[in-house]
Amino acid sequence: MPDMNFKCSKILTLWILLFAVLTVQGQQADAENCNLCHGLAMFGMTGPGNSIRSLEVTADAYSHSTHRNVICRDCHTDINQFPHPETVQKVECAKACHITKPFAMTGYSHLEQSEAHAISAHGDKAAYSAEKNAAKPDCKYCHSNKFRTVIKDDVLSENSKHCVRCHEGAGLAGVILHVSSHSSHRSAEASVAVVELCSSCHADQTHMKDFDVNLTQVEGYERHFHGKALKRGLDQVANCMDCHRNHLNLPADDPNSSIHPNNIQQTCSANSYCHSNATAQFAAAAIHSEPTSKNNPIIFFTEWAFIILTAGTMALLFAHILLDFGRWAGDAWMGRKKR
Amino acid sequence: MSQDYTRFSVSQRLQHIFMFVPFIILVLTGFPIKFPDSSFWSVVMSAVGGIEVARSIHRFAAAVMIIDFGFHILYIFYNLFKNKPSFSELKLVPNKKDGQDIIKNLKYFLFLSDERPRFHKFSYLEKFDYWAVFWGMFIMAGSGLVLWFPVEISRFLPGVVIQIAYVAHSDEALLAFLAITIWHFYNVHFNPRVWPANKVWFQGTLTEEEMEHEHPLELAEIKAKQETSK
Repeated sequence: MPDMNFKCSKILTLWILLFAVLTVQGQQADAENCNLCHGLAMFGMTGPGNSIRSLEVTADAYSHSTHRNVICRDCHTDINQFPHPETVQKVECAKACHITKPFAMTGYSHLEQSEAHAISAHGDKAAYSAEKNAAKPDCKYCHSNKFRTVIKDDVLSENSKHCVRCHEGAGLAGVILHVSSHSSHRSAEASVAVVELCSSCHADQTHMKDFDVNLTQVEGYERHFHGKALKRGLDQVANCMDCHRNHLNLPADDPNSSIHPNNIQQTCSANSYCHSNATAQFAAAAIHSEPTSKNNPIIFFTEWAFIILTAGTMALLFAHILLDFGRWAGDAWMGRKKR
Repeated sequence: MSQDYTRFSVSQRLQHIFMFVPFIILVLTGFPIKFPDSSFWSVVMSAVGGIEVARSIHRFAAAVMIIDFGFHILYIFYNLFKNKPSFSELKLVPNKKDGQDIIKNLKYFLFLSDERPRFHKFSYLEKFDYWAVFWGMFIMAGSGLVLWFPVEISRFLPGVVIQIAYVAHSDEALLAFLAITIWHFYNVHFNPRVWPANKVWFQGTLTEEEMEHEHPLELAEIKAKQETSK
């Protein structure tokens, strides 16, 4: 059947073309060929105090990242000479890059998110010490690509021989070393990952004790419907960010906050797959406070009533069973054949 | 010559079956969510098809159980209107004799007496079982419906009701589970005098010997009636 063969070869050609496009795409954004060096496995440098920084950007990780179409120097703007300066500026996420928004001639940037973050509970506060502000999450704390990992020295020295061969005496050999890292990408989309990310600080009592926040929030979430269902794999369930917002995350007493008493109803019903017709009373139900006799006496005493009821009932029933069994065993031991 | 005595009618036996089959299913689909960190309940969770399937099964089983309980309530009222019994003929209602029976039984258990209490149709143990389920049904079905339709409920009731329902459903479930697996199972299975099982839930009848041992007063009453009707 010649027709069939023709079709097959056509499909095959399409597949080959598709793979070719996919393969080439990975290289596209690296117009300046940064990956000539940064694509080398275990490429890195030693920083102050013998700390080790991986500078490896594997082509594979890069081409599958969100920023695959952004050329390196759009973000690393102060890199304009080679060899690069030993210290470079931190990337500023609010800077505009060459990517343009559809139908807009302005450069794309994360300015909006950055500004929201700055005024949110996670932004720097003038009243706080520099140290306290530094303990709060910045863009990269949550949106990390985990490109920096410390590895053992012996692996380093072995691999650094490769650079030293050419760059001995050029000043670069001292700073460039090969370090290895796994470029694992943390997704901020799966609910489990979001809860894990927020819990990395909020469940840490020593980290959070200096901040004016409720220390039992994570525990409370895990005890409640959303937390339990999520642990059992119901991903559509509300995670931290569904109610608290990601960037404009404000405390409950702020009138602009998504969890301000006036706004909670709107927050619960914001997603069609959540509680789309939530009432004010529905929204008023506290869903992750640890009940105490003061903040939530009704629930606190309901819980205690059930604990006493359950323990008391079971203790009486169990005693009755033991006594009943004791009589039977006693009769059996004494050889009495009484039922 | 010994004779079999009907203890539970076909309807009553079916009501029991339509109560305990959903009960088992509700435990298997509910407890994995009550204990999300437990590896034992993780196995059960996978076995019942994961949380999304479990949620649907849980609600279906709950509906069956609620219908069964609703039928039981209608059944009670139907029989009350049909037979118009006097208060003393209501054999499930706790009375003064139950208190005396408890004391008698405790004395018997402690070898202070060799005389067992003589029960009528329902012993205080059986009355406890019945009323425990009766109370439990209101708590479990009520709180379960609040959790099933939280938004709709919040149109009529304050939000704190949802929180109470969450606590009540979870805690009462544990009490029911423990009461059934420890207390009820001891009385109908593990009690060495009963082991391996009391078959009355299925057969519906007791032999004269069993009646004499477990419900002597009821047997006496039946025999007295037979005498007078002769």
